[in-house]
Amino acid sequence: MSGSNDSCQNTSAVSSLSDVSSLFQTPKKYEELNVIGTGAYGTVYKARDLHNGGQVVAMKKVKVPITEDGIPLSTLREIALLRQLEAYRHPNIVRLLDVCHGGPSVDRDQQLVLFLVFEHVEQDLESFLKRAPGPLSENRIQSMSHDILSGIDFLHSHRIVHRDLKPHNLLVTSSGRVKLADFGLAKTYDTEMKLTSVVVTLWYRPPEVLLGAAYNTAVDVWSAGLVLAQLRTRTALLPGASDSDQLHCIFRLFGRPSREEWPATAAVMRDSFPDYPPRSLADQLPHAPPLALDLLKGMLMFDPAKRLTALDCLEHPYFTDEPLA
Amino acid sequence: MPYWYYDKKDLQNTPSFRDGISTETENRYRKEGARFIIDTGSKMDLGYNTVATGVVYFHRFYMFHSFRTFPRYITACCCLFLAGKVEETPKKCKDIIKVAKSLLTEQKFATFGEDPKEEVMTLERILLQTIKFDLQVEHPYGYLLKYAKCLKGDKTKLQKMVQMAWTFVNDSLCTTLCLQWEPEVIAVALMFLAGKLSKFEVVDWNGRLPKHSAWWDMFVEDITMELLEDICHQVLDLYSPQTQPSGGDSPPLSAPPKTPKNDKKPHSATPPASVSPVAPVATKPAVTPIKNGEPPPKLEPPKAALGPAPGAEPPRYGYPPYTSIPPPYVYGAPPPALPPRLPLLYTEPPPAVAAGPRPRYPPPPPAPPAVVSVPPPYFPPLPAPPPRPYYPPP
Ligand SMILES: Nc1ncnc2c1ncn2[C@@H]1O[C@H](COP(=O)(O)OP(=O)(O)OP(=O)(O)O)[C@@H](O)[C@H]1O
Ligand SMILES: [Mg+2]
Repeated sequence: MSGSNDSCQNTSAVSSLSDVSSLFQTPKKYEELNVIGTGAYGTVYKARDLHNGGQVVAMKKVKVPITEDGIPLSTLREIALLRQLEAYRHPNIVRLLDVCHGGPSVDRDQQLVLFLVFEHVEQDLESFLKRAPGPLSENRIQSMSHDILSGIDFLHSHRIVHRDLKPHNLLVTSSGRVKLADFGLAKTYDTEMKLTSVVVTLWYRPPEVLLGAAYNTAVDVWSAGLVLAQLRTRTALLPGASDSDQLHCIFRLFGRPSREEWPATAAVMRDSFPDYPPRSLADQLPHAPPLALDLLKGMLMFDPAKRLTALDCLEHPYFTDEPLA
Repeated sequence: MPYWYYDKKDLQNTPSFRDGISTETENRYRKEGARFIIDTGSKMDLGYNTVATGVVYFHRFYMFHSFRTFPRYITACCCLFLAGKVEETPKKCKDIIKVAKSLLTEQKFATFGEDPKEEVMTLERILLQTIKFDLQVEHPYGYLLKYAKCLKGDKTKLQKMVQMAWTFVNDSLCTTLCLQWEPEVIAVALMFLAGKLSKFEVVDWNGRLPKHSAWWDMFVEDITMELLEDICHQVLDLYSPQTQPSGGDSPPLSAPPKTPKNDKKPHSATPPASVSPVAPVATKPAVTPIKNGEPPPKLEPPKAALGPAPGAEPPRYGYPPYTSIPPPYVYGAPPPALPPRLPLLYTEPPPAVAAGPRPRYPPPPPAPPAVVSVPPPYFPPLPAPPPRPYYPPP
């Protein structure tokens, strides 16, 4: 019969690798322009998408270890998730445009180079705040705060915890909208891929993480609270120098938590901290309107269970009351 | 974001076709590859979701590559391997290869090359790039169950229908339907088909609105009878004698599995005596617009898609979650002759509705008055049963 001679049976399955080289045109498809940022886990380049009219993109290069069973499950799961989230095109999440990798063969150290291609956003919040000529208007603060919380609420509604919210990971568009970046690859990164030379900032880390206790989505609300405060101060509110110093900073401002509040699973003893009396947040943020202070207090509760959720925050009177003039 | 749906013209002009492989042969390769993924997956106790995901990867892969460049069985293995990881039901590469070897002839297994595991590893990276890391795939199963929950009527009949539809969905993996239509549409069409064949007429359903003329109007916007019929026939064609693996055209898959899976028993169902059309009210769909290749209309996806479907999903490929009944249909031989392309239902298409956002689907023709003609029994004495129950009850 006609179809019985299987003309496409080769003796080696992937013998004609040259046929697929066109698939791996990453270097040809994107022209690297310059390094935008070097994070703990990879380098971000500004690049040009040559197949798309030279559109400028941000290309994040991450190395993934190849295991006995190929590309790690965690990496695949996370990329699948990022891709899936992308379908929602949330306005406060940076667009993921493409994912590609270095090619069918891996280098000798058994690592695969992954390229995550994002829309290029003007700058991150860190440099935005540094460059701002003066204090931000209350309107601007409110809209940026809302953007950040909307992005977080979106992630949380998809059971994603960002875990590393900070001004560096928040991008500000030319029209002043904020978008969350750098989330979702937590497990991929954790696989000892950390570049030891890069210092990971602790300033936005919530007490439960610093104490080694269990944590959940509430960590992001804490970090966001500190970022929201920083929109007013433009410098970090709690610049700790080490893990324990970070806890001292927190307790110095909010007071040492009560014995009941101290997490049972904490890896650190409560007695190792002096009994700092609580201070007033209003003193730190003298120009903040009362509703803004109330919101921040709810976001910066020591006990994660008492902290507002991102959705609570969005429904807070600071946002829902009469718009500011 | 990549878009994974193609029209029939694209499905003809594939890399394999351009490489000199006829459409007929390509479709056979696709069918064999899909069937092989199903068999390998079920032998390894992989769930229906993992299996279906693997098959979808397989079909997408060959929209970019020729079967001449990439032999089908090793690609199939790689697709199942990757799907296992993505669906969090990982299997060791070497175990998949072991099972593959047991299912294939020596000649076919030779296409895996000298170091099959290394070949699969390399192929994994090619596969990932080809499917553009778009790893999360939705399948009709979940929709089938969701839709079934809304239908009212005799419980036993409903279960029978769902079970039959489930089997059709399994078998639809051997077609290119997943490259043509969103899983919601396939679920509707195959449940419609099962309803016809099991003589379960859906007359009422939860959430019915006056504007709904058929239950599916509630779930899919602008679905026409022509489309439903087209989808059903693509699945039914699998069972038609012309495409059956008779003679040498479609070599059987080597050594038969140890447990007889083709335990053929004639099916004793009688033909549907009359095909009663759904109330031919002028349709104005719909409530739940869906679009797979496009962003969902609202930020929040249907909640059902997020949480685990209530009523715990069946653990193995092949069973709908009606735990009380074992797969009842032991499908017999294909019907002697299935008239191709005959309408399943004789309602005129609904009057033209305002052009919806659906891509590729032609607007319904201008509305003639809705007429119900009485059809002859188009179904031969056997309701085109799928050829086998995939898995005997444990
Ligand atoms: N889409 C983008 N557009 C413009 N700049 C970006 C974009 N993504 C990242 N950057 C810049 O690159 C820097 C590092 O990016 P990113 O945070 O994703 O990497 P990282 O390795 O996780 O860093 P870290 O661990 O310090 O957070 C960011 O702080 C930001 O300044
Ligand atoms: Mg970062």
